[in-house]
Amino acid sequence: MPIRDDVLVVGGGLAGSIAALSAAEAGASVRLVSYKKSTLRFASGLIDVLGYPNGDGPVSNPYDALSSLPDDHPYSLAGEQAIRDGLDLFDEVTADSYRGSHTDANALVPTYGGTVKPTARYPEASAAGLASDARSMLVVGFRSLTDFDARLVSEHLEAAGVPFEVRGAELSFPEEFRADAKVTRFANALDRDEEIRFAGRSVGAREALAETVKPRLKGVERVGFPSLLGDEHADEVRADLESHLGVDVFEIPMGPPSFPGLRLEDALFAALDDAGVRMSTGNPVVDYEADGDELQAVHVDQKRRKVPYHADEFVLAAGGLVGKGIDSNRSRVREPIFESYVPHPSDRYDWFDTDAFGDHPFARFGVVVDDEMRVLDRNDAPQFANLRAAGAVVGGADGAAEKSSSGISLATGVVAGREAGASI
Amino acid sequence: MSDAEHPADESNPNVAQDDFEPVQVFPEADEMDLRPGADNCYKCTTCDSACPVAEVDDEFPGPKFQGPEQWRLKRKSDEDIDASVMDCSNCMRCDDVCPSSVPLSQMHNTARGEFVDERMEKLSREYVRNRILANYRTMAELGSKVPRLTNFVMGLGVTKLFNEKVLGVTSEREFPEFATQTFREWWDERGGPQVRSEDKRVAYFHGCYSNYNTPEVGKALVRVFEEFGYEVVVPVQRCSGTPMFANGMLNDAKRAAGINVENFSGLIADGYDIVASCTSCSMSLKQEYPELFDLDGIEDVSAHTYEAMEYLRIHEDLEGALADSSVPEQSYAYHAPCHARNQGLDRQAVELFRELDGVEIEDVGPSCSGISGTYGWKEEKYEKSMKIGEEMFEHMHHAAGEVGMTECPTCSMQMEHGTGYEIRHPLQVLEEAMA
Amino acid sequence: MTDTPHVVVVGGGSTGCGIARDLAMRGLDVTLVERGNLTHGTTGRMHGLLHSGGRYAVSDQASARECIEENRVLRDIAAHCVEMTGGLFVQKPDDPDDYFDEKLEGCRECGIPAEVLTAEEAREIEPYLAKDIKRAIKVPDGAIDPFRLCVANAASAQEYGARIEPHAEVVDVLLEDGEVVGIEVEHASGPGKRVHRTPGSTEKIRADYVVNATGAWAGQIGEMAGVEVAVRPSKGVMTIMNTRQVDTVVNRCRPKGDADIVVPHETTCILGTTDEEVEDPDDYPEEQWEVDLMIDTLSELVPILKEARTIRSFWGVRPLYEPPGTGTTDPTDITRDFFLLDHEERDDLPGMTSIVGGKFTTYRMMAEKISDHVCEQFGIDTACRTADEPLPGSEDFSVLRDYMDEFGLRSPIGRRSVQRLGSRADEVLKTGEPNPVVCECEAVTRAEIRDAIEQSGSDLNAVRIRTRASMGNCQGGFCCHRMANELYPQYDEPTAREALDELFQERWKGEVHALWGEQLSQAMLNYALHATTMNRDGDPAAMDGAVDFAAFDGGVGVDASDGETGRSDATAADGGTRRGER
Repeated sequence: MPIRDDVLVVGGGLAGSIAALSAAEAGASVRLVSYKKSTLRFASGLIDVLGYPNGDGPVSNPYDALSSLPDDHPYSLAGEQAIRDGLDLFDEVTADSYRGSHTDANALVPTYGGTVKPTARYPEASAAGLASDARSMLVVGFRSLTDFDARLVSEHLEAAGVPFEVRGAELSFPEEFRADAKVTRFANALDRDEEIRFAGRSVGAREALAETVKPRLKGVERVGFPSLLGDEHADEVRADLESHLGVDVFEIPMGPPSFPGLRLEDALFAALDDAGVRMSTGNPVVDYEADGDELQAVHVDQKRRKVPYHADEFVLAAGGLVGKGIDSNRSRVREPIFESYVPHPSDRYDWFDTDAFGDHPFARFGVVVDDEMRVLDRNDAPQFANLRAAGAVVGGADGAAEKSSSGISLATGVVAGREAGASI
Repeated sequence: MSDAEHPADESNPNVAQDDFEPVQVFPEADEMDLRPGADNCYKCTTCDSACPVAEVDDEFPGPKFQGPEQWRLKRKSDEDIDASVMDCSNCMRCDDVCPSSVPLSQMHNTARGEFVDERMEKLSREYVRNRILANYRTMAELGSKVPRLTNFVMGLGVTKLFNEKVLGVTSEREFPEFATQTFREWWDERGGPQVRSEDKRVAYFHGCYSNYNTPEVGKALVRVFEEFGYEVVVPVQRCSGTPMFANGMLNDAKRAAGINVENFSGLIADGYDIVASCTSCSMSLKQEYPELFDLDGIEDVSAHTYEAMEYLRIHEDLEGALADSSVPEQSYAYHAPCHARNQGLDRQAVELFRELDGVEIEDVGPSCSGISGTYGWKEEKYEKSMKIGEEMFEHMHHAAGEVGMTECPTCSMQMEHGTGYEIRHPLQVLEEAMA
Repeated sequence: MTDTPHVVVVGGGSTGCGIARDLAMRGLDVTLVERGNLTHGTTGRMHGLLHSGGRYAVSDQASARECIEENRVLRDIAAHCVEMTGGLFVQKPDDPDDYFDEKLEGCRECGIPAEVLTAEEAREIEPYLAKDIKRAIKVPDGAIDPFRLCVANAASAQEYGARIEPHAEVVDVLLEDGEVVGIEVEHASGPGKRVHRTPGSTEKIRADYVVNATGAWAGQIGEMAGVEVAVRPSKGVMTIMNTRQVDTVVNRCRPKGDADIVVPHETTCILGTTDEEVEDPDDYPEEQWEVDLMIDTLSELVPILKEARTIRSFWGVRPLYEPPGTGTTDPTDITRDFFLLDHEERDDLPGMTSIVGGKFTTYRMMAEKISDHVCEQFGIDTACRTADEPLPGSEDFSVLRDYMDEFGLRSPIGRRSVQRLGSRADEVLKTGEPNPVVCECEAVTRAEIRDAIEQSGSDLNAVRIRTRASMGNCQGGFCCHRMANELYPQYDEPTAREALDELFQERWKGEVHALWGEQLSQAMLNYALHATTMNRDGDPAAMDGAVDFAAFDGGVGVDASDGETGRSDATAADGGTRRGER
């Protein structure tokens, strides 16, 4: 028997998950096929919607800036309501673990580079760290974590003009790890509240950490750590630290590996499981079958064997250049599964700007979609009647510069999933 | 026969089969140059985020270091593989998560093989212990000749003390009991296949554990496949090699692979596919064999090996077959073995059984059980193994059922050890449903 | 003026650093000025081949003989900069037999050990060589790290009392009474170590003698002194592979042509090169076809290169020179020999000599010749010792030490660190503090970064060339900011930030030539990390206007100032332009 579902989503990141959930909400039987782990594992876990439209910003209200975006921007195609619907679904999925839904305004969240950045939703774990909050702040770093120097971060925040007092302290983590211990080791020790020797006695890692930080508090009202405060039990870790320290504790999202990203991945997985979405992971989609302009099936490579997965509707959410949903060689840029049209200059020396933070055409590479997220061919006609796309595989926006990547995933994911589900 | 078996086109231009061809650098030494494999790595660290060992053991620097970084830093003449490669448990989760298809486990296996060859003292306790653990089949073959006596002796405190003090095998674990009748003895006794078929044929790779310890799993497989009309054959076989890879005993693994490939590859031309009930065995035949060895027929074996339920899901209407079935009410806490995850099979049991009348099944989450075959048997690794398993134990306790389910025999030992639950194999439930 | 003559050496490449060391060892008072980092010019932009002389064995036997001689010297004095990889001249089916024989004969005539290998033997050494090769000649080519070599020469010069001033650009040559009496420089910051945000200054440095060792830029210095030095700069591209596909230098054995050499260099391979005359050594096109040519042509020799990942490309400018009137049209035919132009003899301008032409492998010999010449001016007859005295880091150098136990480092990291640091390993790596890895691609630890900062101030590019940090496959995406973190607390936050921006942009400059496949994914990931996650491109600290923090979400119960809806006028919160530097 062929494997068959109503809607098949390719890609298990933010966009794919939201598309699958939207399709399931519409009543379809949904299968999500994903190959490797998504970029969530190295993304910050912040849900940026729009912070720097057309290079200007940071703007406090992302919705006000939408009308200034070009017509082919994914937001212009999906529309404001899609962004709001995407955020609503996201809020539902993440329940209490994310904040920001109480206002349309962006929040400014400290980054591990010492700057602040505008974002629409932020993990509960980062809530006490907002830069518009006037409470004084201590930033704590650990000597063996080379990615983060708390003193530099605090001085950088000051240079950004934050409306509060901020200090930084670089400490030794109370448990002695090798200098090259992974951050997952730190998080795991706190997660399990590992018993360690500290100040001559055996105490839990959380208490030991709090005791290490305490002498540096000197009256501050909140303390920020790099985001390694636990994994599965992060809430408990933070609550324990807060009760030991007597002040609010928050995390500053870090680069890879990203615990906020990992936790979001877990939340999305649980939501998909609850929604009855079938998940086939670990094998790539490599090919498809079509009858005229109707896709019939995609082929999944199960360790050197191609197995067809049939469906009525398909959503491509395989990611961009990083997620490998978009691929390139010396002469061209391509979408490898459906060979969908990806507009790009023919000369690869026109793919980039010479400034590292310049206006990079490569950042906008992706497939072209219509307002229902149907993938279009080079003549602006749907490539297939039943193929949609969502997330970073969709071109037309520099999400990194705009701080809009997550919002684009949500908005396009919601539209693609909903439309696919509605077509059943 | 379903259309799933014959996809339109076997050639596969779109697979990102990361195009480097490892070459034999030192022809006499059988070593592979995997440096070009480092080209795929863009340092995203996803592999490290998924490593269950690095999060409990800071002596282990993580899969990225042991994989693409160490290989890239290597020069041809360098022989000093870092000793920490022996701390890797070969769970292969890094392979499963890497968004850029770096051949991580192949790099680890190869480096470990080199380390054991070049750096490990062959008379050391560690080497001897690892060799014994890696060659479980040899021990099991002897033990199962007198199963009751062996079970009695292995359970003795004095035996455990000897194992721990002399060999470095933890005394915390109960040795798996040997069945009084092995699967093969049962098979012979029943007179081999009960169903004959020209076009539905499978050759069963039972591995060591179903043969010596849990023949009921093997029997379930035979009955289920015969129920679907398959002719089942059971060729003579050796260990799949999994515990040998994990201990860097590549020569032992190659010998075993040679016999397995010889005995199974010939059947493929006669229309047989290979099915395994253990996900590490199917992993080994599918992926590690062609990655590590160059043997006649090894590609054929790889391309025709399936995990048993995977095979049925592709070739039969399994859901349809179970639609009207029911089993006595039971809640299961299901754990997906790392090696099942790697083959994309981590959700199949949950998705199949949650529709089955009588079954409540809950996925206890994506964590590693921590035993990773022989890893958790080592005295110095026992505690880390249990730390890794903690998350799974916790989730099992939270789950409704008090019976566990998994495809992997060593995961099942760990689940039982950590929770005291009885653990079943999905094939046993399938057999129950089909009966 | 003291009794000791003061010599200013202009140019911090291999020749300049070599001269500074030689003269300082002979007891002269030396100041070396360089407009950028050490190696900033041609030295830092070559493939790092330590010639056996084999490449010149047919066309230029004098050079070939010098090469094999200096090859042996450098193996002794610069052991920690050299990897004796060996080299192959590989013949493909369409490469002429005659030339192969001439090459072999030439090597023997020049005293270069040469051995003919069958195709099988060659492929046993280098398994990735094309299957259709005919045969090969094995010669003692090697790989040398030009950065490390230059830095070691400068460090040695300093030990002998020389003053080394990088980031000091010569703006004038001082003339008095028809004689060169010094130079005027503009310090980017300083004098002394470069520190960002420290105001620059100009300085007149008086000298008894000036050596113009600026290579391709010699004409510009000459012009300031009113003399003509007709250097004919010729550019060549080099493409860096992510891994070592070969561990031996692989040369194509044919008369001449572009893209005929692969040099294993540290963790990478470098493909070279082209030879094309340019007008201005600071301004010439860097083009796609040149990179494509390297890959397409050299993959005929080593097929795996076709699909392998390249991480960047760079161009170097050869300081070719030929005496006026020679009239060679093709730059590949211009001699690789060097010329010592004494401007007193040549132009009636006492006090200055220029050195032009030549090649990296023979830098020490050139330095010796010109140092002899300088000493002659002052009647000093001290002998040159640079061929005998090891460079700092190469004294009693051995990698056969148990760095694991000694330094607490894992083996490839310890091994690479010790290879880079040579005999300085103890001094640098034994810090008694946690020593995490900062650059994972190249296995560079905090201790090594700190040591380099100690040497070169806040200039992270100078740290890079000393350590190789940020030179691996992520091209700094994962370590530029970590390197900048190590500047603190010695340097303050704005300094660290500026140093980071400068390094990040420098890395981007070369990476743009490799933007396809994996490296384009890498670039996108780096961009996402630095822009999306860190928001370095929209950094309020770097903007003109202030951010109106009150207009943003202050948390639940602390509504943004514009009320519940948050629908403020976007411009009210506009903090300025994202790309503040434009």
